[in-house]
Amino acid sequence: MKTLLYMALIAAIVSIQSVLLPHVSLWGVKPDLGFVAVCLIGLFGGELEGLLVGLAVGWAMSLFSAQDVLSAATIKGAVGFIAGLAGRQVAYLSPAVLVVGLLAISCLVGLITPFALQLNAQQNWWWALWTIVLPQAALDAIIGGAVYWLISSHFRLEQWVSEYRI
Amino acid sequence: MRMVNFRLSYSARRVALALAVILVLGFLLLPGQLQTVFQTVGSPFGWIVSWPLQAVAGIHDRIADVWSQYMALQGVEEDNRQLRREMDLLQEQNAQLRESAAATERLAALLEFKKQALSTLVAAQVIGRDTGNWYKTIILNKGTSDGLQSDQGVITPAGVVGRIVKTTSSTAVVLLLTDPNNAIAGLIQRTRDEGIVEGTTHGVARLKYIPLLSTARPGDRVVTSGLVGGFPRGLAIGTISRIDKEDEALFQSAELSPEVDPNRVEEVLVILPSLFPTEGERLGAPKPKS
Repeated sequence: MKTLLYMALIAAIVSIQSVLLPHVSLWGVKPDLGFVAVCLIGLFGGELEGLLVGLAVGWAMSLFSAQDVLSAATIKGAVGFIAGLAGRQVAYLSPAVLVVGLLAISCLVGLITPFALQLNAQQNWWWALWTIVLPQAALDAIIGGAVYWLISSHFRLEQWVSEYRI
Repeated sequence: MRMVNFRLSYSARRVALALAVILVLGFLLLPGQLQTVFQTVGSPFGWIVSWPLQAVAGIHDRIADVWSQYMALQGVEEDNRQLRREMDLLQEQNAQLRESAAATERLAALLEFKKQALSTLVAAQVIGRDTGNWYKTIILNKGTSDGLQSDQGVITPAGVVGRIVKTTSSTAVVLLLTDPNNAIAGLIQRTRDEGIVEGTTHGVARLKYIPLLSTARPGDRVVTSGLVGGFPRGLAIGTISRIDKEDEALFQSAELSPEVDPNRVEEVLVILPSLFPTEGERLGAPKPKS
């Protein structure tokens, strides 16, 4: 059941990311819903779930991008795993802390990605930082915070997480 | 209890009968005079009765007016609704017709181009954009099941769009001409100088490696040279907008305005590999034996 749910989620994320978000991008940059989803799943589902879902999301998103499958799956899988490890260290997570955490992780991933992709010389580190990394990190953090706030206000997230982890 | 006796005496009945006969005869023989008499006698009575009658009539008229206005308004409102519905329908039909006309125009241009240029091109629709922010790509609704493969060129009647970099059975990812990671062999149409066209981070393209002695100038058109696979010779890439010559550089470069705006592309044509001769075939070189 959970596998089906994750498959549906991944299909929805890829569709929205490639079809809808280009129309609502800010400054030509769109948020990475896959990154947000993997972070939240890793955070509340644990490192294994984060890793597996991250790998799947990265693979699925790379099918509709020029990015190679290896870097996409590896980066997303690593994000999910790290989010899972981080989730084990915190008992309570406020939306504000989550926003800051997502901002930091998104920036870190964004700065690593150009090196992993071996982009053209024009797309240097400074260009990447100001043109893509920072705007995308801000959008990721806002969306992640909003999703977390919505989920936590409608469901007993902490109880669910504590029961799930046991 | 005392009973009321309505019985009249015989003589009284005879008197009443006689009066009735006289009245009937009077109406028959003298109608005008009798009416005048009755009119004269009844005038005061009629005047008295006319007040409440007028009052009731006024109320009735008022109610009737209000009712008729209400009913009329109801009808107007219904008419208004009907007209609005019709207007919405017509507006929607108008928008659909405009969209159909625009699509027909685009498709007719594609068809005409397809007839003129190459016999077997695969038409595809753009269904999405890159899922990430690092590459400028478009996603097509056709894939390997339609004969699409990596490195095939993608064009519109206006010019070059990009090159396929990834395919699934039903989709293909096209790296746009304006992406810095794309490189296409180009040729300045007037001077015949060759170079490499690659995208820039500003969303335009740049022709690199133009010989220093070239007389290229802004306004010159750049087309595909056909040296590298994917595109035949002569497809429009863009127009030179600026020439850059750096001191002590071995080559000059030129900024291009692409012929095709990649943000507005809706339908494209994919060039299948066997459609056009390679440069070697074109120059008459023997084909390698397989």
